[in-house]
Amino acid sequence: MFPALHEVPASTSSPRSTRLASPRRDDTPTLWRTVTSSFRDRIGLPGPCRGSPGDVPSFTWIQTHFRHSRLGSGRAPLPSPFSPARGLKSQGMSRKRPRLVPETFGSRRRRGPGGAGEEPPGGEAGSVRRALRELGELFPRLLFQDALPPIALKSQVYSLVPDRTAADRQLRELRELGEVRVIQLGFDADAQGIVFTEDFRTKALASCRGRPYEGTVKRFLASVLPACGDLSFHQDQMTQTFGFRDCEITQLVNAGVLTVRDAGSWWLSVPGAGRFVKYFVKGRQAVLGMVRKSKYRELLLSELLARRAPLSVRLGLPYHVHDLIGGQLLDIVPTTSGTLLRLPET
Amino acid sequence: MLGFLEARQVGLDDPGRLRRAEATRRVLKLELNKDRDVERIHGSGVNTLDIEPVEGRYMLSGGSDGIIALYDLENFSRKVHYTCKSICSVGRNHPDVHKYSVETVQWYPHDTGMFTSSSFDKTLKIWDTNTLQPADVFHFEGTVYSHHMSPVATKHCLIAVGTKGPKVQLCDLKSGSCSHILQGHRQEILAVSWSPRYEYILATASADSKVKLWDIRRASGCLITLDQHNGEKSKASSEAANTAHNGRVNGLCFTRDGLHLLTIGTDDRMRLWNSSNGENTLVNYGKVCNESRKGLKFTISHGCSPEFVFVPYGSAIAVYTVYSGELITMLRGHYNTVDCCVFQPNFQELYSGSRDCNILAWVPALREPLPDEDDEAETQKNPAFEDAWSSSDEEG
Repeated sequence: MFPALHEVPASTSSPRSTRLASPRRDDTPTLWRTVTSSFRDRIGLPGPCRGSPGDVPSFTWIQTHFRHSRLGSGRAPLPSPFSPARGLKSQGMSRKRPRLVPETFGSRRRRGPGGAGEEPPGGEAGSVRRALRELGELFPRLLFQDALPPIALKSQVYSLVPDRTAADRQLRELRELGEVRVIQLGFDADAQGIVFTEDFRTKALASCRGRPYEGTVKRFLASVLPACGDLSFHQDQMTQTFGFRDCEITQLVNAGVLTVRDAGSWWLSVPGAGRFVKYFVKGRQAVLGMVRKSKYRELLLSELLARRAPLSVRLGLPYHVHDLIGGQLLDIVPTTSGTLLRLPET
Repeated sequence: MLGFLEARQVGLDDPGRLRRAEATRRVLKLELNKDRDVERIHGSGVNTLDIEPVEGRYMLSGGSDGIIALYDLENFSRKVHYTCKSICSVGRNHPDVHKYSVETVQWYPHDTGMFTSSSFDKTLKIWDTNTLQPADVFHFEGTVYSHHMSPVATKHCLIAVGTKGPKVQLCDLKSGSCSHILQGHRQEILAVSWSPRYEYILATASADSKVKLWDIRRASGCLITLDQHNGEKSKASSEAANTAHNGRVNGLCFTRDGLHLLTIGTDDRMRLWNSSNGENTLVNYGKVCNESRKGLKFTISHGCSPEFVFVPYGSAIAVYTVYSGELITMLRGHYNTVDCCVFQPNFQELYSGSRDCNILAWVPALREPLPDEDDEAETQKNPAFEDAWSSSDEEG
């Protein structure tokens, strides 16, 4: 049945599959681009972020988006007009996959008038920029007496822009253009805060006005910030390239613009960010606790937002929920009564 | 579908396009099928699976009880309901069975006359399939986590072995020696994989968070150590310099063309690397839960466009597209943690083994038959719903 061991030929040229010139570019863009634009046309959304300042716009987008998301779980399927009427699949499978099937065979969906909205205005980085502005609106400025620039977290951006690779790419572009700075917040290796450079500069200057280190900080903001887009700075960089003395570096640390990372290297930081980090960590634990204490460890998003926030949540419930969703600390489950937030089992 | 066939006939499309489209369609419809089963042999968790590359017909499985079983996946019974039977197995009563858990099994890449298995009992055994006797045994100093033999090698017969020690050992089948050692890692080696493109390129993943690419012809160290930040030292703390992950690196898988490498680590991340220059392509798959203390065996589809990667995610299997990082679906069906999965490229089927001792077969869901064309006598009607009214004039 099996070829015997001693019959193994000494030198077999292992069969190489003849790879045809695969026009992978052909299939992939049409398949995936058509899918993403088609469902967005149907919802009638021009892009991922819209809404008026009054309500919480981002969550209506999340709810409509996840109604058509492909992340399935054990819940009952929504009667969607797009999936062909088939028998119920086995419990727990995604039910949106049948919609992808005709796409593979090239039946092109008609692109409606919203078809041009596939590339949102503002270029490639547009959706992340809009997400950042929206998150900036959620940030409570009054809590810090307007001393802090609006800080958004990277996980919140993932919550608003679900394609993580695209969000990363757009963030990189914004960093290269110098529009945003990424700040390491310190409590988690993954948690990085994003601030607009302009806001950061204004608030940093405002915080050091009248202090003895004002001149050094001004020099730092003028010379180092535009030149170096990194999160951290090294000793040789600061002394040789930019010409800062050790006492000046100490002044910058006292001002709060630099935080110690290691012997001889410093993270970039926002002055006064310590209070923000403290409120953020406490608030995150509190919101997670709200979901944890509920029966079956799950809560409808609408119900969570309607509840009164516990006192430790100073930054606002929507702010924390975006972060938890984007950081995958809570699972999103689309249901007929809205979006459900559930603690992951693992 | 007819458009594809027509274009292929006429010559507008290259012949592979229809095959790729149909393969992708089938992979997107993978689900559990009540008609397909794999016989349950193992009494404890299934650690490793391998399908032979020649025909795709026979599958090997290795379990935590030290048993190795061989299954025939082909269905010649002409019935819809089919259980993949175990043809033979190296059970507990075999004199040369592994003493402890079998971690990796692999078919000999060129035919099914031979297979290799490595286990926590510090041995690597080369088995003759027809007689089920070990032809050779290699002993090591530490437990063996993983081994791999190059699928494209013609000039060498080396098996790369990753053990508890930091040195990667290369065992030569022709001479029976394992004198070639690759030094560079600092802790245990959790996964090894040869490149399917070049027979001399080997990738190793270790618990010290580093992934190294080696050219075994070179005498001096490794070719590249993969760096997740691509050289930007500013992104992380300085201890994390030159690491592929922020935790132990558990699993390695090359894409079929060998141009990219996927690594998975206990920091719950999966990363895609360009295997020629070691650059992190920065595709973001999100959180890929990984709690395995030893290696995690995941697999990539073959012949589809876009390619999919099947990763064990707790007790489910997560399916992502490789190059764009999108989560397609989670395949749920196992009762306990999934340890390994393999993809059968000819029929686009996925077989997965888990700690609940089961091997599940995920089969593309067939098109359902249109109800109008079926025969009337097929469906059994419940007599309670039967209509007692008769259209004929006479009684009865």
